[in-house]
Amino acid sequence: MVEQQIWQYAPVLILLLVALGLIGGMLAASAALGPRGRRPPIKDSAYECGMLPVQPGGGRFAVKFHRVAMLFILFDIAVVFLYPWAVVYREMLAGQAPAVLGGVLVFVGVLLVGYLHAVRKGAFDWRG
Amino acid sequence: MITAHHYLAVAAMLFGIGLAGALTRRNSILVLMSIELMLNAANLNLVAFGRQAGWEQGSQAALWVMCAIAIAAAESGVGLALILAIYRHRRSAHLDESPPLKG
Amino acid sequence: MNAILTMPEMAVTALALGLLVLDLWTPADRKGDLGIAAIGGLALILAGSFLFGAGAPQYAFGGMYVLDGMALFFKRLMLGVGVVALAAALEYSKRFAAGTAEYCALILLAVSGMMWAASANHWALLFVSVELMTVTFYVLVSFERTRMPSLEAGVKYLILGALASAFLVYGVALVFGGTGTLGFAGDSGPGLGTGSVLVRVGLALVLAGLGFKIGMVPCQFWAPDVYQGAPAPTAALLAAGSKAAGFALLLRVLLEAAPDWALEMRPVLMLIAGASILYGNLCAIPQRNLKRLLGYSSIAHAGYMLLGIVVLERAGAAAILFYLAGYACAVLAAFLVAALAFDPGEPEEIPALAGLHRRSPYLAAALALSMISLAGIPPLVGFFGKFLLLKGVVLAAFDSRSFGWLAGVALAGIVTSFYYYFGVVRAIYWSAPAAERPPIAVSRVAGAALGACLVGIVAAGVFPSPLLEAARLAAGALRIP
Repeated sequence: MVEQQIWQYAPVLILLLVALGLIGGMLAASAALGPRGRRPPIKDSAYECGMLPVQPGGGRFAVKFHRVAMLFILFDIAVVFLYPWAVVYREMLAGQAPAVLGGVLVFVGVLLVGYLHAVRKGAFDWRG
Repeated sequence: MITAHHYLAVAAMLFGIGLAGALTRRNSILVLMSIELMLNAANLNLVAFGRQAGWEQGSQAALWVMCAIAIAAAESGVGLALILAIYRHRRSAHLDESPPLKG
Repeated sequence: MNAILTMPEMAVTALALGLLVLDLWTPADRKGDLGIAAIGGLALILAGSFLFGAGAPQYAFGGMYVLDGMALFFKRLMLGVGVVALAAALEYSKRFAAGTAEYCALILLAVSGMMWAASANHWALLFVSVELMTVTFYVLVSFERTRMPSLEAGVKYLILGALASAFLVYGVALVFGGTGTLGFAGDSGPGLGTGSVLVRVGLALVLAGLGFKIGMVPCQFWAPDVYQGAPAPTAALLAAGSKAAGFALLLRVLLEAAPDWALEMRPVLMLIAGASILYGNLCAIPQRNLKRLLGYSSIAHAGYMLLGIVVLERAGAAAILFYLAGYACAVLAAFLVAALAFDPGEPEEIPALAGLHRRSPYLAAALALSMISLAGIPPLVGFFGKFLLLKGVVLAAFDSRSFGWLAGVALAGIVTSFYYYFGVVRAIYWSAPAAERPPIAVSRVAGAALGACLVGIVAAGVFPSPLLEAARLAAGALRIP
């Protein structure tokens, strides 16, 4: 019984090993293949999408990102409705396939219209 | 033992805090945030009552909470866009500065 | 699964989405055609709605959605209102820098929200449909982004509207806690007792939330500002459609879902009705802005229609339905004229209407007729509607004296309203214009929409029986225990 429960954690262990292997491999590869010589401190700092890793919090973001942020939140929250759908999907597929498939297709279709509109109107283009 | 009454009390407090904020704050963004608190209080109530009401009604209540969250997001999306448009006009997000509509 | 019942709503939503997609590939000079297509599509759906017969109530989505005579009546009313609002939008959107198709699509989405609301038989559908309508209105109200009053009105509507929805959801949560069910009234009959405190408090909060939509007295602060600041087609849709949806839900909640509570709260409802009538009419007197005046008068009209609710009978509900149809015709005509008779950016001041009968006799006559109907002068439709509402209250006064007082207040309000409605008529015909202004050309679409409203005002006033019969039939579908 206890043994069985422990075995359920096997995937977690595998994931851990894969993660450690990946990180170790990347570090080893960059040490082996990377250029040698001067190492300024900026090179050793953590890399995070071009932002300074250490800076005062509470800084301001340019308002031009607002549209993208809003669209992200709206699409992000719309995905919430897919979870209950996914829970009942397999059960309903046997008896009510048109309802369960058609319903979600309509839902995704509506989202797609919104996405198309946002793309064509240039909502994702924050340079302008 | 935590009963539904505890959830009710927390939700009522959240609702009260939100209402107080919505009525007293002058900054429109803070007002929106306060209203969001009130909506979340209602959601908390729904989930707590849903647990009592059994599987069928309870799952309906849980689904409703998802709808309410999505609608609240849409509402704040429109709200922020509006506040931004007003800010472009007069460089302030305060509600009571020079209102053109009076009477 | 009776999803076929929801065809009209689905069709309106699909029309809105189709419009949005088509707009993306339509060159700027052909955007007007999209508006025409939207009007045609909505008119087709209105015609198609007559394929549904008003038989026994039918349910869909596990009893969440009900299609009965009342829902059908409201749906046809809202589709008609939508067609006229689209015609006004087509005319008005010439002032916008861009976004004609979006404006029309938003109107369609708001109409679909109202139609879902008419069929709500479950708190969740009630909430989602109300929010579909309200969130769309936030954008519709503030659509003129370059005009500060429009933005100001949008923020006001947004904040008060979000507050009202918070009350609504919290109230529903409490009702759910008290009853353990989210449906209104299943096949087993009405489910809500008045037993627990939770249910009573919850229903009071729901009343506050819905009261915001109809603009009744403690929740009326937004009405004048929003009506004045919003673009005229939005204000028309708000007055005729949003109010109708609010009343559809109030009738369902008060008469079907919680009749015991409504009976208990009758004195409060009577107080609200009287206060709305007095507040709306008294505040409308000094107004100089036509749209603001209509905003205050809409509060008064909400009060008149509440008279049909306080009697808590089918006859009262039928009177509300009749009144709503007549009010929609009159107020749509008034806002159409407000959209056409003023220059872009010009405030809709009543003195600026001077000499309108020389600039456009048609618009002048339309506005005058609409004002006379709103005032309730026979033989127009407004008179007959007020007569029906008052009749119910007067009949109830034989049982209880407080109804007599309410009837007195309503009569006083109606007489007061003559003053400001005729002020508008006087401004059109009997005051000298400050400067000679060019005649107004009315486009064919706007003229036809205005004509439809005028035909409604006159025909339903002179021959009220067909509309009255439809209203009675619709109110007969209410499942009053």
